[in-house]
Amino acid sequence: MSNPLIQDIVIVGGGTAGWMAAAALSTVLRGRYRIRVVESDEIATVGVGEATIPMIQRFNRVVGIDENEFMRETNGSFKLGIEFVNWGRVGDRYMHGFGKLGQDLWTVQFEQYWHRMRKLDRALPLENYCITRMAAKANKFMPPRPDLGNSPLADIAYAYHFDASLYARYLRKLSEQRGVLRTEGKITHATRRGEGAHPGHVDAVVLESGERITGDLFIDCSGFRGLLIEQALQTGFEDWTHWLPCDRALAVPCESVAPLTPYTRSTAHRAGWQWRIPLQHRIGNGHVYSSAHISDDEAAATLLANLDGKPLADPRPIRFKTGMRKLAWNENVIAIGLASGFLEPLESTSIHLIQAGIQQLIDFFPDRGFSANDIAEFNRHSRFQYERIRDFVILHYHLNQRDDSVFWQDCAHMSVPDSLQEKLDLYRSHGRVVRRDNELFAEVGWIQVMEGQNLVPQRHHPLAELQDEQATHEYLEGVRQVIAKCVDFMPDHAAYIAQHCAARPM
Amino acid sequence: MPAALIRDIVIVGGGTAGWMTALGLATVVGDRYRIRLVESNEIATVGVGEATIPLIQRFNRIVGIDENEFLRETGGTFKLAIEFVNWGRVGDRYMHGFGRVGQDLWTVGFEQYWHRMRLAGRARPLGDYAITQVAARDNRFMPARPQPANSPLADIAYAYHFDAGRYARYLRKLAESRGVRRTEGRITHVTRAESGDVEAVVLASGERIEGQLFIDCSGFRALLIEETLKTGFDDWSQWLPCDRALAVPCESVAPLTPYTRSTAHRAGWQWRIPLQHRTGNGHVYCSRHISDDEAAATLLANLDGRPLADPRPLRFTAGMRRKTWHRNVVAIGLAGGFLEPLESTSIHLVQQTIQLLIDFFPDRGFSAADVDEFNAQSRFHLERIRDFIVLHYHVNQRDDSAFWRDCAHMAVPDTLRQKIALYKAHGRVTRFNSELFTETAWLQVMAGQNLLPSSFHPFAALQPDDSVHAYLEAVHRAVAGSVALMPDHADYIARHCAAS
Repeated sequence: MSNPLIQDIVIVGGGTAGWMAAAALSTVLRGRYRIRVVESDEIATVGVGEATIPMIQRFNRVVGIDENEFMRETNGSFKLGIEFVNWGRVGDRYMHGFGKLGQDLWTVQFEQYWHRMRKLDRALPLENYCITRMAAKANKFMPPRPDLGNSPLADIAYAYHFDASLYARYLRKLSEQRGVLRTEGKITHATRRGEGAHPGHVDAVVLESGERITGDLFIDCSGFRGLLIEQALQTGFEDWTHWLPCDRALAVPCESVAPLTPYTRSTAHRAGWQWRIPLQHRIGNGHVYSSAHISDDEAAATLLANLDGKPLADPRPIRFKTGMRKLAWNENVIAIGLASGFLEPLESTSIHLIQAGIQQLIDFFPDRGFSANDIAEFNRHSRFQYERIRDFVILHYHLNQRDDSVFWQDCAHMSVPDSLQEKLDLYRSHGRVVRRDNELFAEVGWIQVMEGQNLVPQRHHPLAELQDEQATHEYLEGVRQVIAKCVDFMPDHAAYIAQHCAARPM
Repeated sequence: MPAALIRDIVIVGGGTAGWMTALGLATVVGDRYRIRLVESNEIATVGVGEATIPLIQRFNRIVGIDENEFLRETGGTFKLAIEFVNWGRVGDRYMHGFGRVGQDLWTVGFEQYWHRMRLAGRARPLGDYAITQVAARDNRFMPARPQPANSPLADIAYAYHFDAGRYARYLRKLAESRGVRRTEGRITHVTRAESGDVEAVVLASGERIEGQLFIDCSGFRALLIEETLKTGFDDWSQWLPCDRALAVPCESVAPLTPYTRSTAHRAGWQWRIPLQHRTGNGHVYCSRHISDDEAAATLLANLDGRPLADPRPLRFTAGMRRKTWHRNVVAIGLAGGFLEPLESTSIHLVQQTIQLLIDFFPDRGFSAADVDEFNAQSRFHLERIRDFIVLHYHVNQRDDSAFWRDCAHMAVPDTLRQKIALYKAHGRVTRFNSELFTETAWLQVMAGQNLLPSSFHPFAALQPDDSVHAYLEAVHRAVAGSVALMPDHADYIARHCAAS
């Protein structure tokens, strides 16, 4: 016999994670389950996740968000990639652009021909063969034109920069329209079932007002503190700070400056890095650093010395520990967002991790039987995704040739996870990259960062030698010229926004 | 400095593996490499791999094979499915059809609505929702018609049955026309360089054939990878105890079925592969549970037509070489590993290794990182296919022999145990990292062998009972209506690709 269905879903915590979960579930469930969000206006949400990756378009499509309206409501801008400054060496600059690299033509992939030609000094820097990188440099933007078939204009992949608290507010409105009930209040504690079918399951959260909110399934979106997953269930945390030692951040908005860049910037400093996220009405900035290597005051001074415009507030401090909850799903509690783990936003994955958690929850949605096998599979998937993104973030730190600080030297010499070491060894040998299962970052992401941080493969794929040198050179030149022409054709980023989705003046 | 490129590729052994490799490489690397294939007419090739899976179409396309010509040349027929008889229980019958089952409509996959309706007693057998299964039962065939895209006719996935000896001969002609040099002769020994790498193979004639890259397609003998390099073998017979087979062709009978049949016997199973000019049959069995004579008698008692030869014996051990690539030797086909042809994967494994070899094609540096990755991927693929085959043995409710009881009670690999446990909970199947068999394949075998979850994805309950029932019925009607438009399998062949 089938187990009885869940009836009450309680989401603990608003913020981006809570409202994304509420919006997605209310869309999928069409009013068949009761969904409540408990949040307190007194508790500040962490709003660092303002830059995204292209997968967010899928989330927005599923919940039925109109792009232009959403951009207007959140002061959003478009994002074609991330620029990394001072990462490999001080003075270096490269971009990780979304989407494709080059165009495939013969037996092996584009980058293999590029490796071959570059050794012969007959190739330009890699960015010349990537439309999003060239468009970003020229501050241009338009969405892809799939109707143009094999034109690079059909390959434009993009994401957004936006104000995360405005996004949460936007999703809240949408969720409430779809029947989600919001309860304002501060949770004092959770109570657990003593006996019956599932002893140990959370059965209610209790508010300061004394109100008791019961449920069958609890989604912990309470952020770093993990109100249910950790405080109530003591699930445990796996610490990754030996690989990712940054543990603090200072965030500050500043005034906008022209041009409106269609990319995030990440500038490495002496003991961390600084983000720059351009919105329509301001620029978000933050300095992520290791408190073992630099004082808070010094970190603040560095941040303020590296703003493009006048600061609009005092720097706001954030503390964190990199790692993941031992189980993202424990008993009848599923942690989504910061309650499930933390990875610094170097590759803008915070919101994606929320989205991935929600998708998994939908795939493995439980009934009141809470099958251990389903939960184990959910947790295996979550761990796999987290670990692979962790590897990619570590890559940026590890692959440096800086000798201006102990921090960078330590990063260069640390021993990295096996899964990352295998990727490095394979690339170093013949420039090959293998993507495991559906790990988030594709081959082109890895190639751009490894190449951008000066890891040069010893050799290239032998089958990239099948064509003669001149033909290969012409192939690369053809790709480069077509991309250059396409970028010429694209409108300016600020002009595109003005025409389609300008926010109302504040 | 870049390491020097390979110049000479030596393929040891003809047969299906050798000639597929020769043609695949000649097509991709053209005349930039010298490719030689050494084979002896004295050595019989193992011709069990006569049934295939749909991915073979990709191989044929890459090497530029015209489907109709190829079927004419090999006496080939089309294959939409495998029928399994007596597997779950004696008297059971189900199909593993290629391609899709059902049509997706709402939040969760089709099979979840099927599980729900099945538990409510309102569903048809799973096969009634799959076009390849319904067409196979009706002995009909046509290739997919891509338009309109939402018609089940757009979902027809198929493979082939063919005479592997003729396929190898056909590929040989193509490979030779693309510059592959064939040398006839028996290899007497192998010489190795100081580094330990293989340097040359020496023929009975005294001729010495040198190369930098050797591909071992010598079959079970594994002349280079095992006899020479002592690579070692991982034995999987604790999970797959069948170790012998007897193969015999028989006369064709009508109708010409567009599917392979696999009938479970007391201590093994029997294949039936219909070709245009004959039917291939074989009995795979476990010598610990049944004598050769008894196995032969069972085989001959279960033929559809008159036998055309004496049963030919084969011996094997299920398992794989510890490394399919070791030093400068890459093993392809039976030299790399053996899995019984229960899911027709023998030729696919050849194809898959050729693809991997192209992806990781070496220079004379033979980088350890590249070779390790090649080996890791080969192992992954073979292990996942092994799991799928073990599934067929393990999920049985037969109690008519010790063989089947042992299979039902054995401890299976962890990866398989997890798949079964997950499916049992709510009918979920997850596919990891491009493993060969899809969720749909697993579903058909598990459900076909009576492994049925007692619950389903809760979101399959979001719609009312009658709507879900109407949805399933609409899918079935679309499938049945589509099959009615398909021609008879034998007619299709007569019109397009009858062998001369």
